[in-house]
Amino acid sequence: MVFYALLENYMATLRDIKRRIVGVKNTQQITKAMKMVSAARLRRAQENIINARPYSRKIAEVLSNLLSIEKNLVNPLFEKREVKKVAIVIVTSDRGLCGAFNMNVIREAELTIKSNFAEMNEAGNVLLYCAGKKGVDYFSKRNYKIEGSYPGIFSNLDFSFASKLVADLKEKFINKEVDEVLIVYNAFKSVVQQELKVTKFLPVQTIEQKYEPNSKQIEYIYEPDKATIINSLVPRHLNAQMWTSLLDSYAAELGARMTAMDMATENAKDLIRSLQIKYNKERQAAITTEILEIVSGANALKNA
Amino acid sequence: MKEINVEIVTPSKSAYSGNAKSVTVPGAAGSFQILFNHAPIISSLDIGVIKIEESDGKLLIFAVSGGTVEVLDNHVLLLVESIETPEEIDIKRAEEAKARAKERLSINYKEKVDVARAEASLNRAINRLKISQKELSK
Repeated sequence: MVFYALLENYMATLRDIKRRIVGVKNTQQITKAMKMVSAARLRRAQENIINARPYSRKIAEVLSNLLSIEKNLVNPLFEKREVKKVAIVIVTSDRGLCGAFNMNVIREAELTIKSNFAEMNEAGNVLLYCAGKKGVDYFSKRNYKIEGSYPGIFSNLDFSFASKLVADLKEKFINKEVDEVLIVYNAFKSVVQQELKVTKFLPVQTIEQKYEPNSKQIEYIYEPDKATIINSLVPRHLNAQMWTSLLDSYAAELGARMTAMDMATENAKDLIRSLQIKYNKERQAAITTEILEIVSGANALKNA
Repeated sequence: MKEINVEIVTPSKSAYSGNAKSVTVPGAAGSFQILFNHAPIISSLDIGVIKIEESDGKLLIFAVSGGTVEVLDNHVLLLVESIETPEEIDIKRAEEAKARAKERLSINYKEKVDVARAEASLNRAINRLKISQKELSK
């Protein structure tokens, strides 16, 4: 009688293990599919970055060349003043399941606020612009002043979003509602690597000469004049900068998701293997019990 | 054949690249044509039309909403935020934008209006409509 109970028990665990294997296999299929989707999107996102590069690079180049010639320039966007109010643009993702991607940006942003603008934040002088749903979710629940929240922008990332955001920031800066604008985002370094970046957006940084200045020093004609060209280039330089930051973050997000999903698929594989071994052992134990039962039954008959 | 190399780049893509006989651009100080051996120039662009005469004589037309042009060594580089061929122009949308901008500029409008922005928007819409009509009448 003891044997029957034991056998029942074995059958129950076998069924349980089988069910778990099926469950893990299903999850594995999902993570595998998500990895593949991310890989395909990542390729497109990388293309976008490459396509955006000539534009932003050329604008930066022309601008830095002009700025090195034109000394007496008056543009409110260059004005450096004592920082009493600051705006921070925080770029996160819209969706989760991408490892520590969002937490890294959020932590960096909080650290920046805590170490540089703690008092300003207490006084409500730190304005946050959250691009991406995850950042909106996080910061709106905490003690921060959110000036702009843009969830869901990455499903259909458009240049006009970048230019609208920049227009808003420019207006705030010119009206002296903020004295400095920062962007915190993940830059795409490689598929498995993201680089956290905190860049100063406004006032416009005098662009370092990382682009080779025209060594020949060509005598250009400037129409209508240098200052006008600079003033028309600066906003577009800012737009391009914001745009590339967003593209960068999106590519980084997809890379992070791809890696996370790849790891999840691997983990599922390991889990299935160990469950399978456990299943085989249990099955063997059940068979052994069964044989034991028959043999001892036969022995009992013989002895009777 | 004396040709110039023309390239139009936008933030999202390279919109055009090829050789041409001439390019006409809406410079901020007036529209001008760029031919072979043009002097080096950097000019900002107004809202207007870019015309490219390709080497086989075909004429291409684009609508632009401002930008910058650089000419150097027979290479013309146009940096623009948005560019459209006449076929790409959404006439309905442009007409709506025109109506909206006009309404905003009308004196009756009570709310605070950014006049410069509304005017720019009106000019863009008018430019788009003009170019798309030019194409239709061709």
